[in-house]
Amino acid sequence: MKHIIFCISTFVLLWSSISFAAGTQYDLRVDGLACPFCAYGIEKKFIRTEGVESVDIDLKNGVVIVKTSEGKTFKEDQLKEVINEAGFTMHSMVQKPL
Amino acid sequence: MLNSLFRLLAAISILLAVSGKILMAAPAVTYVLETNWGSQGSTPGKFSEPTGIAATDTEVFVSDARNSRIQVFDYHGNFNRQFDIPGKGHGEPGRPMNLTIFRDEIFIADYWNDRIQVFSLAGKFLRSIGTSGSDHGQFNSPGGVAVAANGDIYVADFYNQRIQQLRPDGNFVRQWGSTGETGIRAGKFNYPTDVAIAPDGTLYVADGYNDRIQVFTPEGRFSHKWGGPFAINIHGPFNGWFATVTSISIGPKGNIFVADFYNDRIQKFTPDGKFLNAFGITSDGPTHTAIAVAVSTDGSVFVADYMNHQIQKWRPQGKE
Repeated sequence: MKHIIFCISTFVLLWSSISFAAGTQYDLRVDGLACPFCAYGIEKKFIRTEGVESVDIDLKNGVVIVKTSEGKTFKEDQLKEVINEAGFTMHSMVQKPL
Repeated sequence: MLNSLFRLLAAISILLAVSGKILMAAPAVTYVLETNWGSQGSTPGKFSEPTGIAATDTEVFVSDARNSRIQVFDYHGNFNRQFDIPGKGHGEPGRPMNLTIFRDEIFIADYWNDRIQVFSLAGKFLRSIGTSGSDHGQFNSPGGVAVAANGDIYVADFYNQRIQQLRPDGNFVRQWGSTGETGIRAGKFNYPTDVAIAPDGTLYVADGYNDRIQVFTPEGRFSHKWGGPFAINIHGPFNGWFATVTSISIGPKGNIFVADFYNDRIQKFTPDGKFLNAFGITSDGPTHTAIAVAVSTDGSVFVADYMNHQIQKWRPQGKE
């Protein structure tokens, strides 16, 4: 019985630490991404932002997908500023843990 | 009141454009798609978002942007060789955009690393010009490059909203446009994407989001502009109008070829801006089929098809 409790506790601890260690995904809705001069400009800005692990552009849905490294989060205003610097306007944001 | 006047002008312009299109005689020369090649991928002969193109008398050079490389083909689309475009740090990628060939060198606008990279035609790295920033000789995402007969380099400095002229060693000569400021008046830019230099030194600028071409004399003075009514950032699908110009090239007879991105076509003009032809492959989105254009000495027109990850080769039919 002690072994079972130990195993379950260990699993829960490991699972929770993995969850807390993961980064965050931000789905940012931006208009006008069909032109690569625009999309690459946004990519360039984000990839040089500290804590950003990857940037993907979903052209079909006009969404910029930003994934951050462990423990790194952004406020909506920070993300808006990066998009603005690239010459665009962010319309909405969805945040979810990785 | 001004708004109503503007709408009236736009309506009149559209009527004139539509009637002009209906009444216009068929052009003496038409363009026929001879072949296209490539598909999405990273192996030789495939592309991941081609964004620039240039041609010698025998070969076609393609900026394969997301693969961070240049691929070289013969005129029939047979793969000849490739070379990587590196970023600044170890293992980092470059992001090649519009490119140009001058003598035996290829000049590549590296959008992500704020510099012009120069290679031999065989693919040997030779030198790099420029650094990141907004001072003279610095760039913020160069979109295109041209080289004059004396070796001077002209760069469309996209986010700095200007065109820079540099000596072959990178020393600043002069600029057009106000650094970091967009504008629709003559001599101002709204995200310039590419440049071309005629043999006499006339400078042609693809003024990207202003939906127009601007022309400057060899002495550097504004000469003329075209693209929609008054060439003041009114976009549309009619002949002579644009919806974001992303590349410009000069043909062997001095005519001007423009990649009209959101209209999925190449438009051809006389040097003074008179419309001659339009051709391309329509798209159903989400992106588009004509982002960059190059014209070879035999009159063939090569187009980088961003959406389909292909290269199109068009041939002229008829006499000019």
